[in-house]
Amino acid sequence: MTEGEGTMAEGTGTVGRRRPGALRGKHLQTLATLSVLVLMCIVFTLLSERFFTLSNFQNLMRNTAPLVIAGCGMTAVMIARGIDLSVGSVLAASTVLAATLAVAGVPTYLAFMGGLLFGAVAGLANGLIIAGMGVSAIIVTLGMLNIARGIAYLISPSAILVGLPPDWSDLGTGRLWIFPFPILVAIVVIVAFHVLTLHARFGKRVYAIGGNEEAARLSGIKVERTVTILYVLCGFTAALAGLVLSSRVGSGDPNIGIGFELQVIAAVIIGGVSLSGGEGRILGTVIGALIIGVLSNGLNLAGVEPFWQYVAQGLVLIAAVIVDRRVNLGVLRMGNG
Amino acid sequence: MSIPQDGAPAPPLIRARGLSKSFPGVRALRGVDFDLRPGEVHCLIGENGAGKSTLVKILAGVQPPDAGTVEIEGRPVTFSGPLAAQEAGIACIFQELNVVGGLTVAENIMLGAEPGRLGMVDRRANEARARALLDSVGFPELEASRFCAELSPAEKQAVMIAKALRQNARVIIMDEPSSPLEELEVRRLYEVIGRLKAAGRGIVYVSHKMREIAELGDRITVFKDGARVATLARGEADAAELVRLMVGRQLDELFPPKDRTPGPPLLEVRGLTGPVVRDVGFTLHEGEILGIAGLVGAGRTELLRTLFGADERRAGTVTLAGRPVPPNAVPAAIEAGLALVPEERRTQGIVPVLSVADNASFVWDEYPGRRAGTQTRRAAVESIVRTLDVRTPSLDQRIGALSGGNQQKVVFGKWLTLETRVLLLDEPTRGIDIGAKREIYRIIADLARRGLGIVLVSSELPELLGLVDRLLVLSHGAIVGELPGSAGEEEVIVLSMLHGAPSATGKQEEGTRE
Repeated sequence: MTEGEGTMAEGTGTVGRRRPGALRGKHLQTLATLSVLVLMCIVFTLLSERFFTLSNFQNLMRNTAPLVIAGCGMTAVMIARGIDLSVGSVLAASTVLAATLAVAGVPTYLAFMGGLLFGAVAGLANGLIIAGMGVSAIIVTLGMLNIARGIAYLISPSAILVGLPPDWSDLGTGRLWIFPFPILVAIVVIVAFHVLTLHARFGKRVYAIGGNEEAARLSGIKVERTVTILYVLCGFTAALAGLVLSSRVGSGDPNIGIGFELQVIAAVIIGGVSLSGGEGRILGTVIGALIIGVLSNGLNLAGVEPFWQYVAQGLVLIAAVIVDRRVNLGVLRMGNG
Repeated sequence: MSIPQDGAPAPPLIRARGLSKSFPGVRALRGVDFDLRPGEVHCLIGENGAGKSTLVKILAGVQPPDAGTVEIEGRPVTFSGPLAAQEAGIACIFQELNVVGGLTVAENIMLGAEPGRLGMVDRRANEARARALLDSVGFPELEASRFCAELSPAEKQAVMIAKALRQNARVIIMDEPSSPLEELEVRRLYEVIGRLKAAGRGIVYVSHKMREIAELGDRITVFKDGARVATLARGEADAAELVRLMVGRQLDELFPPKDRTPGPPLLEVRGLTGPVVRDVGFTLHEGEILGIAGLVGAGRTELLRTLFGADERRAGTVTLAGRPVPPNAVPAAIEAGLALVPEERRTQGIVPVLSVADNASFVWDEYPGRRAGTQTRRAAVESIVRTLDVRTPSLDQRIGALSGGNQQKVVFGKWLTLETRVLLLDEPTRGIDIGAKREIYRIIADLARRGLGIVLVSSELPELLGLVDRLLVLSHGAIVGELPGSAGEEEVIVLSMLHGAPSATGKQEEGTRE
């Protein structure tokens, strides 16, 4: 902080723009990940002429949408210093439930609602045990990972392919002008979570809990309730991601989404949320998810063996965290002048 | 003991009667009365473990009292927790400042009561209200949109005080608020306190700094051994009198007699220079206790760490009993006969989850060549537990469950399983109660009598002067003077301060954890 200069006069003037240190840092961080994304796009454009085309972008976005959607819920949870390992399994159980309902003749939109409800209830169970009983989030959601996967197989031991109503695939394959529905769904979720975390009272509580739980509690914030709601939201977005995904592939598959939770967490971390909570943004996660999406899409088009994609994803994750730490250190130095 | 009850018509903000609190092995508070009036700064002083922190914790709702009553503005209250105390109008500005780094100044101040509609936060209104509160505490230039992670301690404090006002706190408890501050910031804090007083709020101010107490305190309550010794009005007692009340006649019996005669030179230090330490030279004799005094940041801890090879030695020689001690290697220092009892017991001295036996035998296991005697591991541990009178149900007890004093005895004892020649002690009695302190003092004196050389760093001047044969005063990493063990506190303070320095005097870094 520079001394003195703008005191009262500036204080009473209009306060709109935000400035110094940390925020510049947050922008810098987002900018860094964004430039990595752009750079990757340029490289893949040079490597394959099919990369920079409308149809490929539609395809890429459609594939990445579930990751973005589930990533929004996970971001909120992780800002509050939590984690949810169960999203992949919850996603599977929700979609299998929805597909079973749809096959049984329930109208598709109601079947989808059933799936979403399951996701929210699974999240509620996570949240109540974590917040209410004070059990570690990793343990509880690891338990839920197994339970939800079990439920998925109990509902249907194998993929449901036949008997799904024709409108089952609308959500995943339809589009409005040049925008596939999954992208529109993702945008709605992004906007909702962006507003929720940055502009709503609820969001301030989330950052406060992640940054300093005791301070939050002493500010009269109902920490347990807030945390529980976060896990409900996370379960809900996982289910929504699952419906988008299975609507696109046209099935209800209990094997879907194995390892998906790790991709989601990777996207969130690449996007700048730290495991110790209290920081991070939804838009960061969106960029993080896109980096993962572009990476796999681009490598596919470039004809790289699929197994290398795992290696590449792992490297990107580690690199992102290292870069993030460097940027933060740099910001600290800048802040201290 | 009588509290002046003049004709103030309004009930006191706080009226506590007969507060008592015990912890296993310690009676932290014994039937203490306490009052706080509107517009008053009431200072609490006392040594570590004297009971002031316990009183503060009870008032803040952190701990319930075992006995006694608290009234807030005439209404009896029982706090179920910190939140309840806060709702009753009591705010705490503790040292570990409760701000959220990822939120802005305005968001922190307004946290839990943001203006806005439909669950949305109205950022303009939020910042405007925060700004008004910052103005009222005299920090108008602090930008409401800055993130708290990048604020200085003084600015964080301002945020906490503004937040306390937002919560309409009538009582503000400050625990050593000036410790992390620079000189100019301290002046500013006093101004803020002046504003709070003028607004009729009451302030409970915990401090070790005599000068600041004399300047700020409308009334001063002195604690000793969990009891209230006296409550004095401003000007009723000078600094010397306050110290006498704090320490009491116990001073004499607290320390063992200095009936040693130091032997031949043992440790020769010449031109020792490290990251902080500059050109330090001294000679430590067998059976001598050499004290190191200095202000916070003078380099006392760094001197010990550089001697022990834990901090880089850039120049100079260290010779123990005629043999050079190689630089920058802790194992070599231990092989040479040095030992360090570090400042932070919990993080540097013990492994809380391991047993007493495991903690006591680390160095015995690692340095078979230097073992004292030829007994087995178990016997070595048993012997030190017996010699040092470590009170533990068994050797397999998790050390984390013992009291601070007993943990510290194990840390001492660990080094006695080896043939240790020189013991470097960094704040050896920090955070342990007065009874255990006395035992530690006896252990230190006994070890000196057995011929060990001891270098003692302590922020508590009475402790230093009560124990040492000789005292070196450190400033900015260099020795600026030497005093005999019979020197007075004033001489030490004058010598420390003379050479310009960080804001706080040595005494004042104590008390962060009672």
